[in-house]
Amino acid sequence: MNGTLLFQTLVDGLILGGIFSLSAVGFSLIFGVLGVVNLAHGVFILAGAYIGLWLKGALGLDPLAAIPVVFLVLAVIGGALQRTLVSAAVQRGSLMTSLLITFGASLILRDLLILAFGPDIQSLSSTWLLRTYHVGGVVIDGARATGLLASLVLLAMLAIALHAMKVGRAIRATAQQSFAAGLCGVDSNRIYTLTFGVSAGFAGASGIIIGMINPFSPFDDAYWTLNAFVTVVLGGVGSPVGALLGGLMLGEISTLSSQYIGPRFPNVFIFCALLLMLIVRPNGLLGNAYKASV
Amino acid sequence: MKKGISRRSALGGMAVAVTAPAVFGNDSAWAQSGSTIRFGGSLGMSGRYAETGLNIRQGYETAIKFINEQKGGVEIGGKKYRVELAIVDDASDPARATSLIQRQVDGDVSFFLGSYGSNIVLPCAGITEAAGKLTVQVGASADQIFQQGYRNIFGFFPRASRAWVTSIEFFKSIAPKPKSVSIIATNDAFSKANAQAAAAGCKGIGLEVLDLLELPEQVSDASSALATIRARTPDILITTTVDQNSLVIVRQMIATDTNVPLLYQFLGPQLPMYRESLGAKATGVIMQLPWEARIDFKDPIFGSTKAYIDYYNKNNTRALSYHTVGASSCITTYVEAMRTAGSLDPAKVRNALAATNITTAFGPVKFSPEGDGDAIVMGAKIGQVQSGQVQVVYPKDVKTADLIYPTPVWAKKG
Repeated sequence: MNGTLLFQTLVDGLILGGIFSLSAVGFSLIFGVLGVVNLAHGVFILAGAYIGLWLKGALGLDPLAAIPVVFLVLAVIGGALQRTLVSAAVQRGSLMTSLLITFGASLILRDLLILAFGPDIQSLSSTWLLRTYHVGGVVIDGARATGLLASLVLLAMLAIALHAMKVGRAIRATAQQSFAAGLCGVDSNRIYTLTFGVSAGFAGASGIIIGMINPFSPFDDAYWTLNAFVTVVLGGVGSPVGALLGGLMLGEISTLSSQYIGPRFPNVFIFCALLLMLIVRPNGLLGNAYKASV
Repeated sequence: MKKGISRRSALGGMAVAVTAPAVFGNDSAWAQSGSTIRFGGSLGMSGRYAETGLNIRQGYETAIKFINEQKGGVEIGGKKYRVELAIVDDASDPARATSLIQRQVDGDVSFFLGSYGSNIVLPCAGITEAAGKLTVQVGASADQIFQQGYRNIFGFFPRASRAWVTSIEFFKSIAPKPKSVSIIATNDAFSKANAQAAAAGCKGIGLEVLDLLELPEQVSDASSALATIRARTPDILITTTVDQNSLVIVRQMIATDTNVPLLYQFLGPQLPMYRESLGAKATGVIMQLPWEARIDFKDPIFGSTKAYIDYYNKNNTRALSYHTVGASSCITTYVEAMRTAGSLDPAKVRNALAATNITTAFGPVKFSPEGDGDAIVMGAKIGQVQSGQVQVVYPKDVKTADLIYPTPVWAKKG
């Protein structure tokens, strides 16, 4: 086996995995805290990319610089969606209700994207993103490496917020035992709205990074929702570290199987890994970040 | 004093309101009215093919508008007709498309325009063929459509296995002569059929096919395929992928410094978005050009390609694409066949279509005996991106610039 090729494949997997991780962390957080499978997650990602595109076109804002704005806009949209629609699903405690509501929301939001931006393929690329770096014999894709770095920074910020900030502790407390958290003065409805908003914000931020790397259209939402789902099942629910591990695993499985088995097979191996994980360790590598500590 | 509307009459009224369109509206809507020629069909105006679907719809609408408003209709067999478009959105979904087409067939539409995508056009063709209805389309070229023995479907593109005739001749014309080729396809019928056809054609002229790499249908990462290309660099790299996937591949080629002397992308570089996204890096990329705006053809409806472009740009804001011109020319071809037949009898129009040999704004139109575009007459030209513009580099008699070969490495493209 060629050592350089193996190392190149591992690096490619790592970079791809970083992007999968960031795109999945919002999905993981909502699932862990609210118990809602958010089928509108892929549309949130694309909405982030489209808002970034608009900011670039209207204000000339570089996509990376647009991340805070996109985060805020998506956080407001996500929070409003939770307040108006998803809260009903949470109150009923029914997985099916949450699936139906978020699926319906995804269809509406996707159509709004088409109305606003059209169905055409778009790209957020900047010429500087197309740089290449050579480290030893390994070629590093500048755009994807930038995406990985941005992902790590955002995931680290989320991890710090969840563990070191008061609001983070309130989110974790609500996820573990919402009734007890309420007795301690935590307004769980507010926390649910905040969690949904933050998750949507992270989805939007990942949309910027995905849009910098790959072209996108309003019809890619299912692909990114599915990737987030697989990442969460592999890594575990509710924590940035789980999403990071799941995403990296997904990236490595994808590139290694493509390189050494055949480039048409990554989906086969990804779903085999998913099945295996569901059989052997149904809660993923790290388990449920919140329930485990109850 | 009489009370307001009773519950019974309200329910009765609602029943009439609900059923009336089905009883009266549909029949009258689908009927081939006396002085109107109605063109039916479905089109992916939403869903994954929406971008091209909208381009095609613009083409259909442009032709209909021009014929009615500028020409006052068309004269067939001494009688003047208006033309009408009855296209419905199939959401890029074959199942939805077939049920919509069946409804139009049952409603007596005789002249169909195509949807986009062989996976949609093929099952719809089965329905229209069985009913003896005609289809002229600019959105599908899979071999299977033209190998079923169907007599009533005509396509503007040569079938996939013949779509490489011009390209293979182009490869033969390159100096210094390339020796090897690799092909990247995706796991879908269109891409695979084209990859097989390209591989067979290349082998036929003595090019060694180093690799035929197949990626999943939606490409988000091509790093492993590109590592293979870097390890065994061919003289020509061909991708037979759709627009979005082509852009993923080329961007990753740039970012991983994967250089080849010639990159040929079947679809993608034709889009302005592709070239804008890559900037100067797009220089040298080769593509098939089903249509080229600078080559002026006579058109029996619009007058010429140039007149068509002027009219289109005056009435539309959406950028003109080859699918748009092709869609307009589908209607031109239909109308010319009806004029030649002197009748709206589908059987007579079918025979006139089969014998079509005209030029339109799209270019020459002539069908093979099986109904696809004649590979020589309707074969694509070869284009290359040079200074942000698409130049025709083959065939020699219509070329607008000389071929750049070998192309500079990515780092030297600015």
